[in-house]
Amino acid sequence: MGAAVDHVTPMGMSGGSAEGNDKSEGQRFSCKSKLTALVVDNGGVCRAIQTALLRSYGVETEAVETGEAAVELIASGATFSLIIIEMLLPFMNGPGTAKQIRAMGAQSKILGITAFFDRRDRQEFLAAGADDFIEKPLSPEIVIPIIRELDN
Amino acid sequence: MERNQMRRQLALIRQSFFDQGFLDEQFIQLEELQDDANPNFVEEVVTLYYRDSSRLILNIDQALERNPLDFNKLDNYMHQFKGSSTSIGAKKVKAECTQFREYCKAGNSEGCMRTFQQLKKEYAILKRKLEAYFQQARQAGPLETACRSRN
Repeated sequence: MGAAVDHVTPMGMSGGSAEGNDKSEGQRFSCKSKLTALVVDNGGVCRAIQTALLRSYGVETEAVETGEAAVELIASGATFSLIIIEMLLPFMNGPGTAKQIRAMGAQSKILGITAFFDRRDRQEFLAAGADDFIEKPLSPEIVIPIIRELDN
Repeated sequence: MERNQMRRQLALIRQSFFDQGFLDEQFIQLEELQDDANPNFVEEVVTLYYRDSSRLILNIDQALERNPLDFNKLDNYMHQFKGSSTSIGAKKVKAECTQFREYCKAGNSEGCMRTFQQLKKEYAILKRKLEAYFQQARQAGPLETACRSRN
């Protein structure tokens, strides 16, 4: 699923257009509507990279470290088109967070994400209300179809 | 021109990271996110990775001294370690994380300890290589063609 990414050769020259990186026109894929995203991950590196990736496609993105912080943000009235939640969070785990978010009536697309894919974790996340569950890293092949779907 | 020579050398060093399996295409994704607004994104993220990981390594080292081992705790530490290593494209480190987790699941203490020594080795090698690479990149100066500019 998803297009193969053409590897960028040294010095920034692209071998051709890959999903989301239409370098032949020098343009990067960007969302059409105003989309917002929330990244929930206790790892600083993952938060930084996922946030940067989403923002590079024009998605206004915030990041928090815990499920509790995510729930608090949404309870305060913030709405997000997309919420990406790490499986293993310090206190309330990913599925628990997703469940609470859904219980508050949030219609966001929820993507569960993990370092080690596990079928049982996937089941738990989907049962909690997530729309999908993937293994890291968050890649353009995953993000761009989601943005297109949300744009429509 | 010296600067062009430095950049050519830098490109060869960078390519060797992929050819020798130290980095995978996820590193390229990081480079793609670097632009005029975030001109040092890759180095900043890698620096953050080494800062956060050093804490994790300390925690894992301490956890491996316990007897008996708390495999659940180790698994949780490794989960985070693998997540960040994967996200920067640290291919060999990622592989050791996966191996470590297999030993964790099997309750194999010796396997965990042996694999962690190997992981630390790969981690240190990559760190040295990347630090030297970024230092040379700074000396070579900014590229005219950033990863996200027109061809």
